[in-house]
Amino acid sequence: MPAYHSAFLEDTDVRIIGNFALLPLRTKTRGPAYTLPSLPAGVAELDLDPDHESYDILDETLTLFRANTLFRNFEIKGPADRVLIYGILWISDCLSRLKPTMTLREAEKAITTAALEQYALPGDPSFPLNALYQGPRDRGEAELLRGYIGQMRQELGSRLLTRIYADGTGKPSKWWLSFTKRRFMGMSL
Amino acid sequence: MAYQTPAVVMDNGTGYSKLGFAGNDSPSFVFPTAIATKGPAGGAGGSGSGRPAVAQKPSYLTGGAGPAGHLSAKRGTEDLDYFIGDEAIAMGSGPGYGIHYPIRHGQIDNWDHMERFWQNSIFKYLRVEPEDHYFLLTEPPLNPPEARENTAEIMFESFNCAGLYIAVQAVLALAASWTSSKVQDRSLTGTVIDSGDGVTHVIPVAEGYVVGSSIKSIPIAGRDITYFVQSLLRDRNEPDSSLKTAESIKEEFCYVCPDIVKEFTRFDKDPERFQKYVVDQGAGKKVTVDVGYERFLAPEIFFNPEIYSSDFLTPLPVVVDNVIQSAPIDVRRGLYKNIVLSGGSTLYKDFGRRLQRDIRHLVDARIKRSEQKSGAKSGGLEVHVITHKRQRHGPWFGGSLLGQTPEFRSYCHTKAEYDEIGPSIVRRFALLGGPA
Repeated sequence: MPAYHSAFLEDTDVRIIGNFALLPLRTKTRGPAYTLPSLPAGVAELDLDPDHESYDILDETLTLFRANTLFRNFEIKGPADRVLIYGILWISDCLSRLKPTMTLREAEKAITTAALEQYALPGDPSFPLNALYQGPRDRGEAELLRGYIGQMRQELGSRLLTRIYADGTGKPSKWWLSFTKRRFMGMSL
Repeated sequence: MAYQTPAVVMDNGTGYSKLGFAGNDSPSFVFPTAIATKGPAGGAGGSGSGRPAVAQKPSYLTGGAGPAGHLSAKRGTEDLDYFIGDEAIAMGSGPGYGIHYPIRHGQIDNWDHMERFWQNSIFKYLRVEPEDHYFLLTEPPLNPPEARENTAEIMFESFNCAGLYIAVQAVLALAASWTSSKVQDRSLTGTVIDSGDGVTHVIPVAEGYVVGSSIKSIPIAGRDITYFVQSLLRDRNEPDSSLKTAESIKEEFCYVCPDIVKEFTRFDKDPERFQKYVVDQGAGKKVTVDVGYERFLAPEIFFNPEIYSSDFLTPLPVVVDNVIQSAPIDVRRGLYKNIVLSGGSTLYKDFGRRLQRDIRHLVDARIKRSEQKSGAKSGGLEVHVITHKRQRHGPWFGGSLLGQTPEFRSYCHTKAEYDEIGPSIVRRFALLGGPA
């Protein structure tokens, strides 16, 4: 049984730039992504059913992260898998910026700064996964993609922190930090 | 019927030797197949870890213990100065003695050490007179006949034992599964998955005979699981990540899960699944190690070797399927129907269930493909993985079971027969437990 694929591969009616899918996100940060309704009251993120209308690719990325980072090989089956890969590598990147002693406030600061940093897009010379990703065709597409990836980075970073600080001790979970050294597909952003 | 002395059953494996008497539920002695002799370790015996032996120092540097090697030169009392089993491990860690592992990869590597190992096994541990007992020994599949002859020579000429039977471990493991209620017919056809410390074998057996050309081995076994647990402990900077701790955690907490992603989520929802293990580091120092995802990730390396090793990537269920597919077509049905587990690394909870499910998926997918191609309807194929209570010492228990049958003695070769024909007599044995 190889690594896990995205269930969003079946969604074909989404906008695709290069070969990266702009899947709908459940987020409050502004950007080009189609916004899904926020969580209904009383439903925790962990209990969200994959068939629920608010379930998005970022929920899936967080669920699959720990299993998939253990794998070195991954066969890309479609544009949604590329979103998944980017998400997983971004989580790894976030984890490597956290220190076991950081409080939630400090971690939020570090992650938000990192999310807003200058980041490479598919097709840019400094993008590490250019073998797997196609770049945007023109400047308009590039702007759209930049906006979408920016949204992803911010939303995923903040959701990751909710999970890591879920136990209420004020320290990041060692169970998540133990995945810092592992590299999905042997790559990093 | 006159009273018969019980047969002695000895199963000497690469890691552990299991000794006891036929008819018993469990072996009387289980200890490492190790022998500590005067002088440094090394030489042909080597250390079990597969490292090359350290170059020997000249005798004036070893404090008079002298180099091992030319044993013929000192057939004196030193010859009797040795220990086996747990004592050997204890003595070998001190000065003056070196540890040797006479069995490597299942086969006897150093006959001199093995003879002395048997001598102590029989006289010091089991305390029997070999003249009064029949012996049941085990051998790995594909053991060369010369090795059998050597064994017979030692057993008959050095120990003068009354009778001898040598059985293949995999066949005995099949016999051991007869205690399970899931086994309806006591056939000697089945696939044995034998996973010990060093290596995992998948051995198809058809009517008591091993299908030698189809045997496959996998370089993932108990030791690798321990290493994997250790690496996970180190990733988390646990206060104690020694091999011993990793091994205890492996034995106490690990289980096989149906799906790792779902299992991660279950851990998130139910923090009770995280456990604690207290390590006594000696001198009254105790530290607590948290036990988490390794509980289900460690045995997962059988089903997803990719998460542990980069050079062996075939999951165990696929290997089993390939083995059965490479066996003769008329026995395949029997091989799928009776997949028997044996050895310590198959004891994880739900190991058999997961294996059965994964193999069934492979088989069903193949049947579906061929149905589509041919248009004919298949009658289906039964896949059964047998989990039973005697898995840990499967081959020994199988030997105990067969050794207590009244007809056991008639299958053995006796001392008289050996004296008449010579060592070549043990090249053939009648099939024990098979159709008469």
